[in-house]
Amino acid sequence: MEAKSKILLIDDEEVVRDSCTQILAGGPFEIATASDGTTGLSLVAGFQPDLVFVDLKMPGISGFEVLEKMQEMDPTIVMVVITGFATISSAVEAMKRGAYDFLPKPFTPEEFRLITRRSLEKRKLTLETISLRREKELLREQFAHIVSHELKAPLSAVQQNLFALEFELTNALNESQKEKFERIKARIEDLLKLINSWLKVISTDISTLKQSFKEIAVTSAINKAMESVETLAARKNVEIVKSLGEPLPPIIGDALSLSEAFVNILGNAIKYSQDGSKVYMNVEEKSGKIEISIKDSGVGIPPEELPHIFEGFYRGATGQAAATGQGIGLAVSKHIIDAHNGTITAQSEPGAGTTFLISLPVQKNGTNPAKGQ
Amino acid sequence: MTKRLLMIDDDPDFVSGIKAILDTADFEVDVAYNPKDGLNALQARHYDLLLLDIMMGRGAEGVMIARKLRKDPKLREMPVLIITGMREQIAFLFPGEPIHPRFVEVDELVEKPVEPKLLLEKVNSLIATAEARKAVDK
Repeated sequence: MEAKSKILLIDDEEVVRDSCTQILAGGPFEIATASDGTTGLSLVAGFQPDLVFVDLKMPGISGFEVLEKMQEMDPTIVMVVITGFATISSAVEAMKRGAYDFLPKPFTPEEFRLITRRSLEKRKLTLETISLRREKELLREQFAHIVSHELKAPLSAVQQNLFALEFELTNALNESQKEKFERIKARIEDLLKLINSWLKVISTDISTLKQSFKEIAVTSAINKAMESVETLAARKNVEIVKSLGEPLPPIIGDALSLSEAFVNILGNAIKYSQDGSKVYMNVEEKSGKIEISIKDSGVGIPPEELPHIFEGFYRGATGQAAATGQGIGLAVSKHIIDAHNGTITAQSEPGAGTTFLISLPVQKNGTNPAKGQ
Repeated sequence: MTKRLLMIDDDPDFVSGIKAILDTADFEVDVAYNPKDGLNALQARHYDLLLLDIMMGRGAEGVMIARKLRKDPKLREMPVLIITGMREQIAFLFPGEPIHPRFVEVDELVEKPVEPKLLLEKVNSLIATAEARKAVDK
């Protein structure tokens, strides 16, 4: 049996209630009616309508009030206003109170059916969106858990034992055997990095990110990031030269995700730098924006790849970027910076190095005590 | 004098990999595969260092151990090498705090898997730092 859509008709005129019911008869609808706003509202909790038609001029509480109260009860109910006094201002008022559509009386049966169809379509989409969001959230949690435990842990154990084995055999291995160890370790490290990138992508829910925004100092995000890349930098003997301008006004954002964005970019710079080289990080305020530049003198990015590096799954010439999740990292960084209303660009010269430029808007303040206002 | 270490981690394969490295450096390593056994071991004898996995069981059970250590005046001076599956997971557990929350007086954080040289470096430096602190207190 086809699922029935529930429609509530609130109109003080019996002839309207009857004719609407007639028009919809035979269709997959369950219909309830009320002759005034208060009664109509009292039916909502029990009947749980998908769509409600509300007359504007009724004795007792007005149609506008019904719209308001119904929105409060359940904002997903689709509301359509029907009225004999169809003016632009009443239409605007109705929309402001959450009405989806407006049907002036008198209307033809076809007009009524059409509006009913469209409104129910909107209801279906709204409910689908809510359900999909919930599913996505559940999947995300499950996936994060599965990825971290089922995939990452065993791989870590494999790598750890590989480290131990190579360490124990260090003096007994010939060059060719040492090389085999290096190959195996490198590929497992790539896998681990890819899993980490995926975990980050999944854990960084951009849509909820903005909800946690507050006033922060960019330097705190930068310091967090520096800590995270310490080991990588040490391993490659790369020095990160930091130069912070003063003063650096606060910005509105989330320190944790911002530091993740910096970690990805710094990690990139370090990874593609030659051993023993330097990475320069410059932070200063310029006309209402905090500008951060991260410059390395590494292999650089070929011009044909440059426009795509923030896309996520772009496979570089060697295919290696995708394997290590590098592409994902930069895409996540861009999302995070976009969420902070900032911009990120890259300039590069193959053989000479790459410079990433990040710009973040400063928190707008009414007065600036430093400037004596 | 041979240093005695305790490792608390629920992954026996991972533990084996770490223990093998520590064995070559002449450490004596005891292992507990769950928080309860770990805490019992800590009460039973003195350890020069604890290697602690944060993510055990259903979640961050290692944090519970770390908190107990902090509360115990005898144990809070013991150096701890915290081993995490992912550094950022620590950040999610303690939002707003620096990525490395100081559980006890002398602790450090490393990510799995740990390279042998780094592991030995950290273990040795933590033990040395803790001993230096003890000497100063005397």
